[in-house]
Amino acid sequence: MRSEPDRPYWVEGEPPETPQQQVQQEPWGETKVVGKPHARVDGYERVSGSAVYPADITLPRMLYGAILRSPHPHATVTGVDTSAAEQMPGVHAVISAFTPDDEATRPHSEFIRSQLFNPTCRYEGEAVAAVAADDPYVAHDALRAIDVEYEVHPFVADERKALEPGAPLVYERGNLGREPRTYERGDVARGFAEADVVLEEEYRCECEIHTPMEAHGCVAKWDGDSLTVWESTQGVYNVQTGVAAALGMPLSKVRIIGHYMGGGFGAKLQAGKYTTAAALLAKKTARPIKITLTREETYLAVGNRPPANMRLKAGVKRDGTITAFEFAGSGTGGAYGTGGASSLDWVVRDLYLCPNVKTELTDIYINAGPSRPFRAPGHPQGAWALEQMMDALAAAIQMDPVELRLKNIPSVSQGREGAPPYTTTGLSQCLEDGSTAFRWRETKQQIERAGNGGHIRRGVGVAAGLWSGGAGGPPCTVIIKVFSDGSINLNMGASDIGTGTKTIMAMVAAEELGVAPEAIQIEHADTGTTQYASASGGSKTVPTESPTVRAAAIDVKRQLLALAADELEVAVSDLTLSDGKVVNTTDPSQEVEISRLRSLQRRRSITGIGYRAPNPADKATCPFAAHFCEVEVNTRTGEVKIVRFLGAHDSGRVMNRLTYQNQVFGGITMGIGYGMTERRILDVDQTGKMVNKNWHDYKLATALDVPADMTCVPIDVADDEANIAGCKGIGEPATIPTAPAVANAIHHATGVRVANTPIDPSMLVQAIATAREGD
Amino acid sequence: MIPRFTYVRATSLDEAMTQLSSDGARVHAGGSDLLGCLRDEVFECGKVVSIAGLTELKGITRTQEGGVRIGALTKVAEVAGNPLVQELYPGLSQAASEVASPQLRNQGTIGGNICQKPRCWYYRGEFHCLRKGGNTCYALAGESQYHCILGGHGCYIVHPSDTAPAFLAFDAVVHIAGPRGRRTVPIDAFYVAPRDNAQRETVLEANEIVTELILPQPASGQRSSYRKVRARGAWDFALAGVALALRLDGDRVDGGRVVLSGAAPVPWRSQETERVIAGRRIDAALAAEAAEAAVSNATPLKRNGYKIPLFKGVIEEELLKIAQA
Amino acid sequence: MAQNGKAGDETPRGDQRGVSRRGFLTSVGTGALSVAAASKIAAQPLAPTEVLDAHEMSKITLHINGRSKEVLVEPRWSLAFVLREKLGITGTKIGCDRGECGACTVLIDGIPRYACLTLAVETEGAEIVTVEGLMNGEEIGPVQQAFVEQDAYQCGYCTSGQIMAAEGLLRASPDPSLAEIQHNMSGNLCRCGTYPHIFAATQRAAELKRGGGGES
Repeated sequence: MRSEPDRPYWVEGEPPETPQQQVQQEPWGETKVVGKPHARVDGYERVSGSAVYPADITLPRMLYGAILRSPHPHATVTGVDTSAAEQMPGVHAVISAFTPDDEATRPHSEFIRSQLFNPTCRYEGEAVAAVAADDPYVAHDALRAIDVEYEVHPFVADERKALEPGAPLVYERGNLGREPRTYERGDVARGFAEADVVLEEEYRCECEIHTPMEAHGCVAKWDGDSLTVWESTQGVYNVQTGVAAALGMPLSKVRIIGHYMGGGFGAKLQAGKYTTAAALLAKKTARPIKITLTREETYLAVGNRPPANMRLKAGVKRDGTITAFEFAGSGTGGAYGTGGASSLDWVVRDLYLCPNVKTELTDIYINAGPSRPFRAPGHPQGAWALEQMMDALAAAIQMDPVELRLKNIPSVSQGREGAPPYTTTGLSQCLEDGSTAFRWRETKQQIERAGNGGHIRRGVGVAAGLWSGGAGGPPCTVIIKVFSDGSINLNMGASDIGTGTKTIMAMVAAEELGVAPEAIQIEHADTGTTQYASASGGSKTVPTESPTVRAAAIDVKRQLLALAADELEVAVSDLTLSDGKVVNTTDPSQEVEISRLRSLQRRRSITGIGYRAPNPADKATCPFAAHFCEVEVNTRTGEVKIVRFLGAHDSGRVMNRLTYQNQVFGGITMGIGYGMTERRILDVDQTGKMVNKNWHDYKLATALDVPADMTCVPIDVADDEANIAGCKGIGEPATIPTAPAVANAIHHATGVRVANTPIDPSMLVQAIATAREGD
Repeated sequence: MIPRFTYVRATSLDEAMTQLSSDGARVHAGGSDLLGCLRDEVFECGKVVSIAGLTELKGITRTQEGGVRIGALTKVAEVAGNPLVQELYPGLSQAASEVASPQLRNQGTIGGNICQKPRCWYYRGEFHCLRKGGNTCYALAGESQYHCILGGHGCYIVHPSDTAPAFLAFDAVVHIAGPRGRRTVPIDAFYVAPRDNAQRETVLEANEIVTELILPQPASGQRSSYRKVRARGAWDFALAGVALALRLDGDRVDGGRVVLSGAAPVPWRSQETERVIAGRRIDAALAAEAAEAAVSNATPLKRNGYKIPLFKGVIEEELLKIAQA
Repeated sequence: MAQNGKAGDETPRGDQRGVSRRGFLTSVGTGALSVAAASKIAAQPLAPTEVLDAHEMSKITLHINGRSKEVLVEPRWSLAFVLREKLGITGTKIGCDRGECGACTVLIDGIPRYACLTLAVETEGAEIVTVEGLMNGEEIGPVQQAFVEQDAYQCGYCTSGQIMAAEGLLRASPDPSLAEIQHNMSGNLCRCGTYPHIFAATQRAAELKRGGGGES
């Protein structure tokens, strides 16, 4: 039984299996291409406006779809009158749970009634009907003309009150998602007894919404009985599975294409109801359909990071030895799913050496939009609690907070069954190199010596983290094809969600095949034409795809060199590839251009296949991080200026220095938003509706909320035991320690501990005022 | 997406007013606030009357009285960057530069900015609230983080404009054209408090148009500023803000105005503060006393109690700053 | 200038083909007729007040990236919608359709504006520049080049808008300070969080522009 963090939430079904690889695969030593800063291979498309995103697609005779959604958080749809909408000029089809069976929807009518347009709406934004029209304006006119009868029910929108007696029920069986999950090692009572200091604190993180820049959407088109969908997605194969299941179709007849997409962060790992609706409307009208959700819909219906309520008790000895952690966390995945508290406790279980740990997680249903995985599920929340607690413990024993963390570095993954060793851990180095580069001790001393007399106060903060995923793994297949002219084609199913996957894979293939990355043509993210890949999410794309691409390159190289060895009449082991040529390493004057190989000419092309090898048994592979920041706080107004930020990361081998840094800065930026400005606000006491479902009222960090002074310190040590590319993921760890690092800096500056996100001026000015009253 | 409307491109002010006289017609200047309201279906609008082409309503010029005239269609960005405004009314320039985002400052007009519809999320959202003709203000028992602590009565919005408090601090005059001719209204009297009418924000009739704002010549010794605290660095309305236009002799206040933004349903002149500072030298103690006076009559709602310490903090800070300027 | 008319009975003029409403709406890209290289349009004398009926399509002329395009529009259509769905100029993205993200930023008479919050009918007579308009043939311009060099994007969906905001800034202020850059780029959200690289790219673009590297 695999423990939760190793069960990748983005892969369903049987445990993955890897076919045997034909060639012995050794780790890389020095690399020529990999690890260097390399501009993206698709940069031109991204800056010229020529990259085609699903929202950009226009097909001949295409219509536009739109979805009517429940305005109530809890209601039963008792009737839908679509007659007025259907008669509007420019409207071509309207479907709902009350649509009479017809040819287009008959095979799926049961599904439509029970699933697509569920008459029981358990959250604001549940789909009720869909229309197809000449343009999106007319489609929305039609939505306004649909008359829906709702039987409105009492709702519960605050998970902190959902388990109280008498609370309205999301489900008849109750609002508890499942029995609370517990974890225990050692004996926490003994641990607290051994401690010199025991602290206990409650923390809360608000619900965060993904809101990628491109709203969810797709274009659906039928060719006879086969369906093609251009989808804004992180994983075409996931969408294929979802759509095929929804429509009762064979996988082979459902083709999903997802080349460019405008961000996902976990919200685009699956097919949407809109995808099914688009397919049905396309069938009914016999025309292609484009549906792009409105921004407001993306706030309500396509995922969020659940709010988290956490209590953490911790014990420490004067010498910095942590003796016990006791953690209780609750959260809500909204009206569906049971992911409301997933992985909240993981960093408490795993980040620091601690023999006695007890945790409990509770999932609660409320009448709100379902959660979806969001960049390191549970981890930023858990780190918000743990890393502020570490700071408080350090202060209580008068130890530097970096020092306290360094005293408690584990070499094994204590949270996993059997406590397997990490393949590598760079946590110490993240803290050490990070604090050196940040000038942590000097800055801290300088601030403390100067004193904090005025109302503008400075402070520094540190926080660490690890991501329980980030190892990648099977299944994954990649094909590399060398044409008769020596040019190379790389075929993989993975999406490039903006992390630079295509560029890194071109670099990997180029490294192995002795060509420039630009020489690698990439076909990707198309279930019809490219090989299987799990979705791009969970910081697992690079550690999954890179070794697979390398394996495919090794395979094609083996075949090429074997052909060349025959033609040159030398031993294969003496040959290598360089600059598009086969070169004899014992006699460099003996070389032949790949395109001149006669056997390649005869075959026209050679194909290498790579499979992702299994991860090492009985080991854990995780990326680690430490973040440092300096802030300036106006104690009169609660305004916080983040002066500078530094992220030190161990994600194994750095694959592309340029995109690696971009990931780190991007994670920090998102973490600043999480800690400082973002929260879903539901009208909990009156209507249960979300009041800030737009980018003005729900506040993402802008260019004026992040420091220009950001530093990326890579701990560039290849994890050769993890996989043959030596890499671990970087996307999720980059955002895990950010928010608590800021909170700790604010505490250093003001002496005020803010245990709830977001620390905007309204929160901080109140906290400072309250603290003053207490003085 | 926006429901259908008929579009009228007015080529004269008279024509615009005639077109606006029909039911459901709305004026389009820069369009940024209007189109947002139409998208959110805050009100019905069958006809959009664009006055964007009326060049006579644009531009910033010196008046014969030594003040400045700002045409209503002047872009907010132009007000922020105008040298005359920067020299004579720095508080207005600062306020204009804090509005929304760069692109919206390039689009929004100064007339539109002072006539903005409330940003209350109940008003903009799918809630039939008092201001939209319903029976209740949802903020009273609901999510009132960004609502008023002063001047609420039935409705608890805050006025969203940054520039309006500055205009009020400078005692500007609003020029209005209507079918029955032109009129002028001191900006003191331009805004309608919910106590008087919770369904309108200004004294403008549906077919009236703001044509220009006139700023009087600055008194000698006048210093001004605008300061806004917001939840994020850009693109945000004031959690708390203060516009100051004070006549100072050294650090002694001879007179002038203190106007709050983010505090009340209308730009809020804090006469309590003005009284405390009048004739006195601004020092730390006076600043604290004045700040305390500003919120002495405040009645916070369930979620906006933070505005009390926040207004105190920002007023204290700004008074000390202007005294040292 | 806009012409009133029922969409279905548009009168062909000059060398233009008549297009039925149905044909127009279903064959995107052909409904808009490009006229090569219109020069900068001089200020036109104001015609009498025009009324464009809510339920009718009106023909308007837009000047986009140095070319004039005639297009049939409803009064309520945004410039962003017309660019993307009617003219096939999809470099301009829509992120929110309510003026809150900046993905649709274009230059209107040289100034960055949100195309989603601008009615197409309001932009007649104005010079509109989209990200495609920064290209010189297939060569990218200096701001675009700088964004590639500095890796100033991730998913790329906000990128066109960021580039247009930077372009607008550099046209007005060729050598901006870092503070000026941060201030002027604050009207464009990037959910991937690439702001530090966007600042660097804008600085680099200023250098490239000053060096005469492919003025756009």
